[in-house]
Amino acid sequence: MKELFPIKQVNGFIFSLLLTVIALSVYFMDMSFKVGMTILLITAFIQAIVQFVLFMHAGESEDKRTIFTTLYYSALIALVTIFGSLLTMVWDMM
Amino acid sequence: MNIDQTKPLEYGTHKNEMNILGFWIFLGAEIMLFATLFTSYFIYENRIGSGPSGAEIFEITPVLIETIVLLTSSFTIGLAINAMRLNRTKATLWFLAITLVLGATFLSVEIYEFIHYYHIGVTLQTSGFTGILLTTLGTHGAHVTFGLFWGIAIFLQIKKRGLTLETANKSFIYSLYWHFLDVMWIFIFSFIYLKGMM
Repeated sequence: MKELFPIKQVNGFIFSLLLTVIALSVYFMDMSFKVGMTILLITAFIQAIVQFVLFMHAGESEDKRTIFTTLYYSALIALVTIFGSLLTMVWDMM
Repeated sequence: MNIDQTKPLEYGTHKNEMNILGFWIFLGAEIMLFATLFTSYFIYENRIGSGPSGAEIFEITPVLIETIVLLTSSFTIGLAINAMRLNRTKATLWFLAITLVLGATFLSVEIYEFIHYYHIGVTLQTSGFTGILLTTLGTHGAHVTFGLFWGIAIFLQIKKRGLTLETANKSFIYSLYWHFLDVMWIFIFSFIYLKGMM
């Protein structure tokens, strides 16, 4: 039975629950928008990394470099698309 | 067919390895798909017209249930892959079944949420904000629905054929897909719901 619940994954699960609780604090506690967004950005990206590396085994095969290159590339495109659009279409109007 | 015994079954042949790598590249494309949805969401977020804003329609309870259910299902599919690597067919099937039940629970709550939105007058046509909100949530929900049917197919195939080079490979790729949906939900949870309710 024990080998069916490897400690690494159990810890990863507890850690992601913990991150969710920390993220929830922006709803239950009073804080400024800036502090709240900082907390959300940090917890969301750590969660994503926990999932990719721990649960999805991104780093264990021989194609590790190709997999991480794909991930970095798509994350870069995603961030450029999101923040580029925010910069030109939302933030300059304030 | 060269079977490499030193690696887990799902990486056993060159073709298996390439299948997994190919799926990672597909996930890269999926990240960009969701990035464009998030971009549109952030642009339309405050364009509420005469409709309600996020703070008015979001409710913490269903969102919290969805988050915890999906997070747990991501954990159980990870356990299924672990059991698969130990060659424990029965345990693999059990964890897969739990994952599917949790996935169905998530979907039920989301459908309830959508019906609720419809009843309070939040539709695709209400405002720019509600349009992109429902599109983004709907795209994720459609992915989960597809994943549910895919998971049932994998379950039946393992039950029928046992853990082979093919079924192990398919299950591993399925687990990647399911974890990915959880990652996307984390971003929806943080930057749509929590940001909206803050």
